[in-house]
Amino acid sequence: MINVENISKYIHHQTILDDVSFTLEKGEILGLLGPNGAGKTTLMRIINKITNPSKGFVSFDGDLMKEQHLINIGYLPEERGLYQSMTVEKQMLFLGKLRGLSATDTKTQMDFWLEKFDISAWRKKRIEELSKGMAQKVQFICTILHEPDVLILDEPFSGFDPINIELIRKELLEFKKKGKSIIISTHNMNNVEEICDRAILINKGQVVLQGTIDELRQQHKEDIYKISFKGNMIAFANALWAGYEIIDKEVHSDDTFTIYLKMRQGNKINDLLNAVIGQVEISSVEEVLPSMENVFVKSINAQNEIESE
Amino acid sequence: MNKILLIAKREIAERFNNRSFRWLMFLGPLFVLGMVYIFLATTTTNKKEWNVILFDKKEIFDTKITPNPPENLSFFFINAFIDYDEFAHQEKYQKYDISVWINEKIVSNKKVMVTYREKLPEHVKRQIIFLVERRMEEIMVDQFTDLSVEKFREIKQSLNFDFRDAYDPKNEKSNTASWVGFSFGALIILFVFMFGMTILRSVSREKSNRIVEVLLSSVNAKQLLTGKVLGIGFSAIVQFAVWTLIVGAGLAIFRSTVFPDMFSAELVADAVNNVNYSAELATQSPFVDLIFNQIQYTNMLLFFALFFIGAYLFYGAFFAMIGASMGSESDGQQFIIPLSLLLLASILSGYFVVYSPSTTLAMWLSYIPFTSPMVMMIELSNGFEDGNAWQLFLSLAILFISAFLMLILAGRIYKNGLLRFNHRLKLKMLIKWMKK
Repeated sequence: MINVENISKYIHHQTILDDVSFTLEKGEILGLLGPNGAGKTTLMRIINKITNPSKGFVSFDGDLMKEQHLINIGYLPEERGLYQSMTVEKQMLFLGKLRGLSATDTKTQMDFWLEKFDISAWRKKRIEELSKGMAQKVQFICTILHEPDVLILDEPFSGFDPINIELIRKELLEFKKKGKSIIISTHNMNNVEEICDRAILINKGQVVLQGTIDELRQQHKEDIYKISFKGNMIAFANALWAGYEIIDKEVHSDDTFTIYLKMRQGNKINDLLNAVIGQVEISSVEEVLPSMENVFVKSINAQNEIESE
Repeated sequence: MNKILLIAKREIAERFNNRSFRWLMFLGPLFVLGMVYIFLATTTTNKKEWNVILFDKKEIFDTKITPNPPENLSFFFINAFIDYDEFAHQEKYQKYDISVWINEKIVSNKKVMVTYREKLPEHVKRQIIFLVERRMEEIMVDQFTDLSVEKFREIKQSLNFDFRDAYDPKNEKSNTASWVGFSFGALIILFVFMFGMTILRSVSREKSNRIVEVLLSSVNAKQLLTGKVLGIGFSAIVQFAVWTLIVGAGLAIFRSTVFPDMFSAELVADAVNNVNYSAELATQSPFVDLIFNQIQYTNMLLFFALFFIGAYLFYGAFFAMIGASMGSESDGQQFIIPLSLLLLASILSGYFVVYSPSTTLAMWLSYIPFTSPMVMMIELSNGFEDGNAWQLFLSLAILFISAFLMLILAGRIYKNGLLRFNHRLKLKMLIKWMKK
């Protein structure tokens, strides 16, 4: 759907983006991750043709991205912006028409979304009269009003309460079902794990890693297992001997525990089971994959360490 | 184009939804009318009786003016010719309010100088014009022709009356036609400043509330700038049209009701018991003549509109540049001050041209786009000599070409500065953006 190829951006001799490439497939949700100042916003502006790259290009459905493609994109910038003195209705009509919808289609879409988000009563209110959360909802509707094929959302969940986060999350999954593609830039890794199919991590303008969420977590796994059992904790520890390292434990009762183990000396899950079976009554064993937050932190730190050396 | 129109329409809607814009649309012209009213009202005085002295060295008038002088005028004759200065300052002339100088060459040069101590109401001016004209007709018929007074009236040349302040006989302190042009020019500068600031505020507000990034994902910076300048410019023209209509209607009402004695020739003619003479009188009052005959409103309004559009685009580009490059709403103040000074300098240049209209500097000021809208309005109100109208069109062409170039430059700064936030604006930065 969207192909970002070898994009670099330099501002005042400073490298903001360095040879960034990735593809956004149809019906995919891609997480665009990175610390503050990594170049995510610049990248999103380049895709939206708000700013030009110094090198590289962006293509849309195989064609070089042109202004005419912009009506297929809905962009929600991180810094939310609406005309404060305009009413919700007029704001939506203006932005809908600006994105190529007729007045009638804009009204139909507007009625649908206001109804769906249960905010029809705000239609005549000026933006300055709304709370921050309400304005965020209006802004989100303005972004999707023209039914774009691609959504580019910078921190789409910020400013929302948990109920509205769930509402937006559901809508995004609904879009995905309809075959629409979404790029989400967020610092909330739980959201990434929950809704993103793939993620791309950028640090200091460079792509640090990219892949499906599962691939990324698998790539960074550390042979940690979570084992729950009933029995004597000392007997369990003695059975492990030196081949495993207990890194955490949860005590549920006097004889019920959950232990987090890191495998050592090349031990596998079968070795672990052989060692403890007969000592305690095992109720469950599972491999613990790192959270996206861990993947994020470790990758960034690793890159920073390499650069500082 | 469609997107530019959408941006322009939004700007227009915002202006018209703005209460202060609507108030200004109606209160502005009422204020102008108020000023005109005060001007007209102060030209009338409570003084009921006027002593008029005629300096008639050759006794051309033979100490006569009319057998039935109006009640408000008393005429005195002196067969001497004195300096204007003597009349103004010598003790023995202080009792006379008005002096009429009957030049010995009056028969050939048709010039009559009138000086006054206190600004004369229009009806008094007309009474004097009427009585001196009538007496002159009698003399001409009596001494130079065999025609009847009525027949002579049909072929005669009217006298040229020159009313001047006794304390400013060279008329250095006033040049009414120039001041009319000055007022038009000042109005252009006022409108340009008002709507230039509107552009600046609109751009900086879109930056500060961050909607600019949403807009730029649908339109490019040039379309946004063009739509904004067109929309605000259209609002300005509507505002101006409403001002013109209200001021025009107000002047018409003044003419027919509030100051009928000043404008109605019949009433003045009645005052001197000669209703038949009214039509000619109407063209002889300098003030009425200036307001209702001399100023060519069609021309003035047409060129006012053209120079306003040129000046608005030219200065508007500067305001848009500053608005787009501001790091915060307060940051651009440092650049607004020099821009305001430029506009002020433009008004001062107009002031200079009123008093020194034929200097080389005045000529240059009429071509420099910063000052030409102001200066050309003055030149236009004074009128161009035959064959010199090209100066007006050259000045307009320079203004529009400069505006076009400024808009291209502004477009570059606009594009580069629009998405920069929270920086401190420096001249170096502006120059860098211009080159990009």
